[in-house]
Amino acid sequence: MTDDNKTPSVILENVSKWYGQVIGVNDISLAIEGGVTGILGPNGAGKSTLFKLLMGRIKPSQGSVKLFGIDPWSDTSPYRRIGYVSESERLYDWMTGQDFVSTLARLHGMTREESNARAEHVLDFVGLHDVRHKEIGKYSKGMRQRVKIAHALVHDPDLIILDEPLHGCDPIARTSIMNVIRELGSQGKTVLVSSHILEEIERITEQIVILHNGRLLALGNLYAIRDLLDKHPHRIMITTDEPRKLASAFIEEEPVFGVRFPEKGKLEIQTNDLSAAHSVLPRVIVDSKVPVSRIDNPDDNLESLLGYLIGG
Amino acid sequence: MTKDLVDLDGGQTRMEAAYGSDDGDEDHFAITAKKEASLGAIFEQNYRSWNGNLGPRWVRNYAIFRHHVFGLFTSKGHRNYNPFVRLTILVIFIGAVSPIAMLFFSSLFGSGPDGVIDKMWGVNRSNLWGQVLGYFPRNLCYWPLLTALVVGGMISDDRRNGTSAIYFSRPVTRVDYTLMKYLSVAVVLGFVIVFSYMAYYTLAIVFKGEGWAFLIDTLPMFLSGLLCSILLVITYTSIGLALSSISQSRFFSAIAFLSIIYGTKLVALLIDLQFDTSILYILSPYDCLAHFGQWMLGIELNYSHSLSLSIVSLILMNGISIMVLVSRVSSLEVTRE
Repeated sequence: MTDDNKTPSVILENVSKWYGQVIGVNDISLAIEGGVTGILGPNGAGKSTLFKLLMGRIKPSQGSVKLFGIDPWSDTSPYRRIGYVSESERLYDWMTGQDFVSTLARLHGMTREESNARAEHVLDFVGLHDVRHKEIGKYSKGMRQRVKIAHALVHDPDLIILDEPLHGCDPIARTSIMNVIRELGSQGKTVLVSSHILEEIERITEQIVILHNGRLLALGNLYAIRDLLDKHPHRIMITTDEPRKLASAFIEEEPVFGVRFPEKGKLEIQTNDLSAAHSVLPRVIVDSKVPVSRIDNPDDNLESLLGYLIGG
Repeated sequence: MTKDLVDLDGGQTRMEAAYGSDDGDEDHFAITAKKEASLGAIFEQNYRSWNGNLGPRWVRNYAIFRHHVFGLFTSKGHRNYNPFVRLTILVIFIGAVSPIAMLFFSSLFGSGPDGVIDKMWGVNRSNLWGQVLGYFPRNLCYWPLLTALVVGGMISDDRRNGTSAIYFSRPVTRVDYTLMKYLSVAVVLGFVIVFSYMAYYTLAIVFKGEGWAFLIDTLPMFLSGLLCSILLVITYTSIGLALSSISQSRFFSAIAFLSIIYGTKLVALLIDLQFDTSILYILSPYDCLAHFGQWMLGIELNYSHSLSLSIVSLILMNGISIMVLVSRVSSLEVTRE
């Protein structure tokens, strides 16, 4: 757990990193403590650069990075309390899962007995108990991701950093890894998990950090951020056989400011007040006597949120 | 197709091909399994905290050292050594300790101090020098090949696979990482080169039943040879690891090391034969060591150039190699992927 003085696990103050002419991250300030936080952003947004800064792999061009109050670039002591799963890191394919995790536990300073017992537990936790004596080279992609998580957890870290942990996993492995991440968060550990697949993060946590082109776009609760975006238009998609008749009924309503017919049998309603639009929706449909087969909210997901934020 | 042919209870699914298998007039249908396939695995996700204390720096460093050295003998190490590589190392070790067998035969057959076996394998200045610095077979075949095999993937594998991230995401500094890699290579080389030298001298005394007078006479020579063997291990380790650190290929590191050892020797030899000057031997790591060893053990010098030049050259070779090594390890994992 964290220090008694409640220093946040992660503090970044005005951090920028340039690679020559290329900006990796640009003037980012944030503090993170406890629970699962999703780091969101498209490819090239600066997620991996941010994690490398946190792991002391690269030195910030400007600003300061602190893990548990210590600069990771100049002092490796915070790593005793950090578990890191890199996106690109490869594994020792000729070793068994058990040997691999226990070997890395010993790199943290555990004794042989401790490392073996602990490796067995974390492999059990990530669902690899049955295959722990199998060579890693024979593992599937999802199993390899889980063994990476296991080695990051073996020393019981307080801060866990997972760079694209769901990348390339099949649905079962994804669900399993998501459960692991949620469980760690519920135990009070600080978990940072990055992804460019927005639905993945949405299933894991509501606490998000959104990056784009190296800049911090938004930070906080997903739904609170959405509330801040009410000035942006929302869409309601209705599937019906008579979209034009239904459109004429909707256009008279106050919350609706526009309608579109994106394709045959579809009506798109545009509104600035989504809840008001939804409150008039049943009445208008009933009064118009137009049969409706489906109603969707295409903007009610994280992807559109990112789209709004980056002006896409 | 009849339903009798379908194993509904067994959960097997058969499907008629949509095109081509019939004349098209039949009523096509597909039958799906009644039993649900078992695709998922449910396991207890019960995370248990660990309340132990992590060991200090030396425990971590020992773990790195162990990880690299034990890899030679087990499949749990830094590198999965091919059995052929292990066998080659074993053959080199047996070759390095082979004079011990001759000494043993000498003691059995009662060969005197002037006997052929004692002259060829007994303890004297030339043989102590030759045990470490003799060109054939040790410095032509054994030591360069051993070094090439050991340093090949020591750092280059980490560069290629990104496994250095495993170390640097733990409380392991780059200094510790480099030192432990260096120590691991040096210990493996030392086990073959230094250990075989020490075993040769010690067992010569035991087999021949030599007394204190022999020990007092030969100990300074032995210690000089020991210093030379340690210097050889250090020099070969420095050059080998520097080459390993600049490449992502273990093949490159190994071949580059052999090229440096043999190439410089060959060029210097050709110049020596053509122009009767040994000055270019200062470019050859082996010859610098051999020159220094000849002086340390007090045997006739084969080189016409000054010993100081060989010593300065050795210092420069080690210095430059370590500088390259440190520089390359510092850049590991710090560039944009």
